[in-house]
Amino acid sequence: MGHMFDEAGTEALVQRFIDQELTAEERVRFVSRLGRDEALRQRTIDLETLLIDAGRLPRPIVPDGFAASVMERLPAVRPSRRLRDLLWMPRTLEWNFVGAIVPVAVAVLIVAAAVVRQTPTTEQLAPLSASVASITPVRLAIMQPGARMVQVAGDFNGWNPAQTSLEQTTDGAWTVTIPLKPGRYAYMFVVDGRRWIADPFAAEQKDDGFGARNAVLDVPSAPMARPTL
Amino acid sequence: MELDDAALVRASQQGDRDAFGVLISRHAQSILSLTTRMLGAAEAEDVAQDTFVAAYKALPTFKLDSKFKTWLYRIGVNKCTDALRARRPNTSLDAEPDDSAVMLEAADHDTPLSQLEQAELAWALDQGIQALPLVYRESFVLRHVEGLDYDEMSVVLGVKRDTLKMRVYKARTLLCQSLATFRERNENGAHVRRSRN
Repeated sequence: MGHMFDEAGTEALVQRFIDQELTAEERVRFVSRLGRDEALRQRTIDLETLLIDAGRLPRPIVPDGFAASVMERLPAVRPSRRLRDLLWMPRTLEWNFVGAIVPVAVAVLIVAAAVVRQTPTTEQLAPLSASVASITPVRLAIMQPGARMVQVAGDFNGWNPAQTSLEQTTDGAWTVTIPLKPGRYAYMFVVDGRRWIADPFAAEQKDDGFGARNAVLDVPSAPMARPTL
Repeated sequence: MELDDAALVRASQQGDRDAFGVLISRHAQSILSLTTRMLGAAEAEDVAQDTFVAAYKALPTFKLDSKFKTWLYRIGVNKCTDALRARRPNTSLDAEPDDSAVMLEAADHDTPLSQLEQAELAWALDQGIQALPLVYRESFVLRHVEGLDYDEMSVVLGVKRDTLKMRVYKARTLLCQSLATFRERNENGAHVRRSRN
């Protein structure tokens, strides 16, 4: 035991035999040599025995509570970029409004959560009690260059325009972002507190029961492609 | 139906901690075995835990371009290396050992035969493995204790296949010598000092 081979080639041959990497011819020659060379035979037996013993080493027993201990040490849940992308991925709905009263009224609905993180209060929007994952931020926009104030009223705020005001941006555009649960919402813009403007080009309109028509917005439950209007 | 590792990894990457809990349970023994053979039982559990915590933190970077278990082994080996560095902060663990020095280290490791009149061969082998230089130890453990093939080992260790083979060869030779010494001393009733490792 412990016999060392001076010939590197022989040592490599033994190791390759152990790893079962010899060709058929090499194997025949090697086995034949084993019969003649006692030292080589002992060397081979020692190595084979070593590997058998290594394979039989007792496997450690995983202590009870190992997984729980690791779980306690994990940092707080931090969604991966992939999930964040899913939650905040821009999802665009475009709607064009042409008002009958004003010279130009174009409404664009944009689902662009990547740039919108503001959260209205629950007083403003009852649907916000739903889980974050089911909320879709919807940006409403309308061109009203001459307006002093623009609000929106709809199913999502109890038809109370005072709850949801749009902010003026540039070039006469007014916008607001409303987090909405998946569902179907009717709404109208209110200009300067007195002019109620529906969307004549909305994908769908419905009678409001009072002789006028409301625009209808469908908020999908899953990300959707930009609709063609 | 039981989810495979890839599905559990994807779920974990999306924040599903329970999915990661399943991965821990599934691979705990392999990693604990690795750390036990590399470091000894005293440090094994802590380092195994460190391995899983590090894996969880690194999950967003894991692109499933290898098996999860292979990736986990890689982290485990790195954690073992860190632990060994902490033991011997001034010792280089990465360099290929000088053969003559290796022979001395392997042949001279102190085995407490006096305390091991009924010692099992497994104990001696375990001690022999832990006395190996790191680059031989990790190669031998992955190949012959954990059962990885050379290609998997190459992924885990980032070392060429042929280099790994040579390391495994040397590890086997050293362990054969180590076990031979153990047997001879055991048969002669000689006392051997306990390894300082």
